[in-house]
Amino acid sequence: MEKKLGVYICKGCGLGEALDIEKLEKKVPPKIKIRKTHPIVCSPEGVELIKQDIAEEGVNTVVIAACSRRVLYDVFDFGPAIVVERVNLREGVIWSHKPQDPDAEEPDEFIQEMAEDYLRMGLAEGERILPAEPYQPEEPIDKRIMVLGGGVTGLSAALEVAKAGYDATVIEKQAQVGGFAAKMRKQTPWAYPYEDLQEPVIEQIIKEAQAHPKVEIRTGIEVARIAGAPGLFDMTFKPTGTKSAWDIPEPVEEVEGAEAPPQPPGADKATPEDPANILAKDPEAERFGAIILATGWKPWELPKETEAPKEGEEPKEGEEPEAKEPSYDHLGLGKLANVVTNVALEEMAAQGKILRPSDGKPATSVAFVQCPGQGSDEDFPYAAAITSTVALKQAKYVRDDGGPDARAYIFYQHMRTLGQNEYFYKSAQQDEGIFLTKGDVVSVSENGDGTLVLEANDTLLGENIKVSVDMVVLGTGMVPTTKDDPVLNLAYRQGPGFLDLDLFDGYPDSNFICFPYETRRTGIYVAGCVRRAMSIQECREDAAGTALKAIQCIESANRGVSVHPRSGDMTFPDFFFQRCTQCKRCTEECPFGALDDDEKGTPLPNPTRCRRCGTCMGACPERIVNFADYSIDSIGSMVKAMDVPEEEEKPRVLILACENDAYPALDLVGLHRLSYSPFVRIIPVRCLGSMNVVWIKDALSKGIDGILMIGCKFGDDYQCHFIKGSELASIRMDKIGEALLSLALEKERVQQVEIAIDEYDKLPGIIKEFMDTIEEVGPNPFKGF
Amino acid sequence: MANSYWVEPDVRFVKQLKRLGGDTLKKCYQCATCSVVCPISPEERPFPRKEMIAAQWGLKDKLVGNMDVWLCHQCNDCSTYCPRGARPGDVLNAVRAYSIQEYAWPKWLGKIVPDGRFWWLLLAIPVAIFLFLLGVTGHLHIPEGEIEFAKFFPTLLVDIIFVPLATFWIPVVFGIGIYRFMSDIHKNAVAEGKAKRKDLNIPDFLKSIACTIPTILSHSKFSQCTENKGRYLAHILVLFSFVGLFVVTNIFFVALYILQIPGPYAQANPVKILANISAIALLVGVILMISNRLKDTGANVGKGSYFDWSLIILVLGLVVTGGLSQLTRLAHLPSIAYPMYFAHLVLVFCLFAYLPFSKLAHLVYRTLAMAYSRYSEREPCD
Repeated sequence: MEKKLGVYICKGCGLGEALDIEKLEKKVPPKIKIRKTHPIVCSPEGVELIKQDIAEEGVNTVVIAACSRRVLYDVFDFGPAIVVERVNLREGVIWSHKPQDPDAEEPDEFIQEMAEDYLRMGLAEGERILPAEPYQPEEPIDKRIMVLGGGVTGLSAALEVAKAGYDATVIEKQAQVGGFAAKMRKQTPWAYPYEDLQEPVIEQIIKEAQAHPKVEIRTGIEVARIAGAPGLFDMTFKPTGTKSAWDIPEPVEEVEGAEAPPQPPGADKATPEDPANILAKDPEAERFGAIILATGWKPWELPKETEAPKEGEEPKEGEEPEAKEPSYDHLGLGKLANVVTNVALEEMAAQGKILRPSDGKPATSVAFVQCPGQGSDEDFPYAAAITSTVALKQAKYVRDDGGPDARAYIFYQHMRTLGQNEYFYKSAQQDEGIFLTKGDVVSVSENGDGTLVLEANDTLLGENIKVSVDMVVLGTGMVPTTKDDPVLNLAYRQGPGFLDLDLFDGYPDSNFICFPYETRRTGIYVAGCVRRAMSIQECREDAAGTALKAIQCIESANRGVSVHPRSGDMTFPDFFFQRCTQCKRCTEECPFGALDDDEKGTPLPNPTRCRRCGTCMGACPERIVNFADYSIDSIGSMVKAMDVPEEEEKPRVLILACENDAYPALDLVGLHRLSYSPFVRIIPVRCLGSMNVVWIKDALSKGIDGILMIGCKFGDDYQCHFIKGSELASIRMDKIGEALLSLALEKERVQQVEIAIDEYDKLPGIIKEFMDTIEEVGPNPFKGF
Repeated sequence: MANSYWVEPDVRFVKQLKRLGGDTLKKCYQCATCSVVCPISPEERPFPRKEMIAAQWGLKDKLVGNMDVWLCHQCNDCSTYCPRGARPGDVLNAVRAYSIQEYAWPKWLGKIVPDGRFWWLLLAIPVAIFLFLLGVTGHLHIPEGEIEFAKFFPTLLVDIIFVPLATFWIPVVFGIGIYRFMSDIHKNAVAEGKAKRKDLNIPDFLKSIACTIPTILSHSKFSQCTENKGRYLAHILVLFSFVGLFVVTNIFFVALYILQIPGPYAQANPVKILANISAIALLVGVILMISNRLKDTGANVGKGSYFDWSLIILVLGLVVTGGLSQLTRLAHLPSIAYPMYFAHLVLVFCLFAYLPFSKLAHLVYRTLAMAYSRYSEREPCD
């Protein structure tokens, strides 16, 4: 495609006053004939001017030197065939920089230079990017949605899917649908006035799902293998508990110190048809478009007693002492018959009256223990707000069953009754026979007459207390099914289940706050208690959300665009395979497992799994991965377009800013009229994960004094839109450090900082600190070469 | 653990407190706003937060015999600021009502006096006694001539009824309750660490009573209430009018039996003036109390239970019947004056005879609790 650029420089929003626009325009190379200034480019007349040039002059790349790309993108949308390049003179230059002499009539030298640089960089990028063409899979996309799990969440999700006009298939391991919701006596209230227990809603949901023509329910079946990608998931099923030839092979453990990266399971199998090869295709597999994972939870179980180290035995040197598991011995679970979990009590209550397990006598006083105590205020593992409401609910059972003098005690460290549940808490509190106190339960023991004695310290009564009760109920948690089991059995190069589950205690979420329902496997969405311990009503709401995500995914895959978070992005990574060295870095680093690889290690892209973060592009040492509108060359040419003066008092620093948090935060700096050094040049990147080391090398060899990378926070509470991007960049940083030393350059010249979008006020300080460091280190010796 | 407290919640006790005006007690969620805003609670182990959870848990032994319950003047600053509408002030009032019943002897009277179903019986007792005595002595008719109440209800007859009531019934019956009350609050205060002084020395305690009297007379505790200023005036009027009427009655008694001066006194007589001023003060005070309660829409005064209202109505009845007796006497209306006087005496009987069982018992219990608080060095003497 022949590029024809048109350049439009805006004089509005103070640009005309702060900058010498004429001088700026002269910086456009003479070969670009169409170059215009306009008082307000975003006005109807300005936009019309551009449209005219597109129509009459054949302009196909519009370079607008005005405001940030984050504003007015709808005004400057000229259709998919026209490339729009924005040069950020407003937020990035005049709003965020004060002239050295505020009374000078002439525009400030440094600010003018900055604008000129940005214009040059914009022109360089505009020359190199192309309009995107959406990816179209060769095979037809299936729009059916697979729901794994036939509990309240799965059935509700299937109904939501069906009501939206799509087909849903529910797979349930057990012989019956309904899950734990079908084993309850009552439900916590979910309708006005939110005070009284309600009849379980599950039966009605089951009936509705069974009757719906667009819902298919299969029971006694589980997943052997899921291959493929969104729109093209090929699923193999098997009767529950049986073996199948298509069972996913065990993942190969990475051996520390091993030279070669591990081979994909079954890679040594000669025939691609052998089921042991994860790339083999099951001819019998059924195709689905998206998957809703609603496999729910398992009751928490007492950890098996670990053998105490024998006396006199010293722990081996160098061995880290293992984190101490909290002890549950003092509560008597598993030892005293009348100490049970909330799950056991619920099942008993659903069957009939609450009776003491030891002798079958009615339980008229029951203590609910919400926290194992012993100095810690942590609740039981995998407990959540729901555990509090369940205790209140079961306390009401005790009052209902045990007569007017029945007593239910709740010992808690946290009573978490969120939202409307506060009304339920209040109504339970009103009951004369329900006694609540914060307290540290220190022991549960037998009293001799069949009752138990519970002792608790530091209660609200102002002292240590003991009570005599018939039963003790422990508020134990709901363990997600994904904790110890891959559940999905994905035929993915990166493994059969979700990744980094230890970050979330086994819950399969990619980012709980920002992207609910999302996982790190595109096209697979989670809902209900597999995502978080929650109530039946919350599960139903979750199901609706997930159903919409699944539909969005299918419709995006169908049109060849990205689902999330770059919703609607038509570009996708293009691999120049002739130069691939099979190093597998892209396959391994992709946060979303979008790439499989063949027996030689050549990546096999699955574009519908891809989220277009560019991590593969950043990872590739051969620089063979590129996007139509975002490439090694497009960013590299911007770096090269920067003017690097030889004067020592005009240092140059390149900032690579993540466009999700850092770049908007930099815009906010301008919006708030804070200011930072005019010697920096900012280039937005899709994600720091897409940062390729070659850009750093180019910049340094050009004489640029320092490079600052600004990305999202990573680690346990990461905020990266692509989960691993900023973390991967930091790993690459370490390698850059070594390379710098070999060039006799100081390590301090390249740094990475983490920032959240709301921390814009910190940016001027961060940039100043970096400039100070650069000043200390001195100018880049490569300057002028 | 040796120092653990055995908790045995009494569900029935909770229900009883709810009936006695503490129906909001279960709403408390222990934020302790009440103890913070209370203007009269001591800094160490302040009330009413701890009393609220004890009430919720039905821990009778922590409430009955707890002096703090009596240090509360029901300002209801706490109820105004309570974020849950638990009304701690009213709950403590209910605890006091329950405590009065608990310490009452004989028990059955303690049960029926606060029970709204038996008001007629309580009135019927004096009516029956009076009618019987009047009948026996042949006075059961309206006398002729100048109205003189002694002609209808001989003073001697009045004194035969009231002197034993004042000198025997009240001291003995109330004395039993007071004795048990005192030993309980001492035990509780020592056990809960509220008392700095652990012994119980009678002369020192009497000194503490002496130092409490000015506090009571000046209503200096009451005046610290911010939410409930109106009650300060009403209560002080009622208290002082009772003091005035008590003085008048004693002068009258001395005058009659020692100085041999029978009534009625002339209107200009200083004693008569004191009596009338007291009566008017009482009328104003009680009307203020009623209007405070009726116009109250917020948290201020407290909803009031039967226990509370029955005393107010009785006092109103006293002042109305007393006043009308005098006015109809002066207006020469014997057919109204004599029955009015009869009614007045019935009500006076009720006031005295049921004193240890009615809300009026707070006159003694609160005084003793305040004195004990000073004695045990929980609060300083003013």
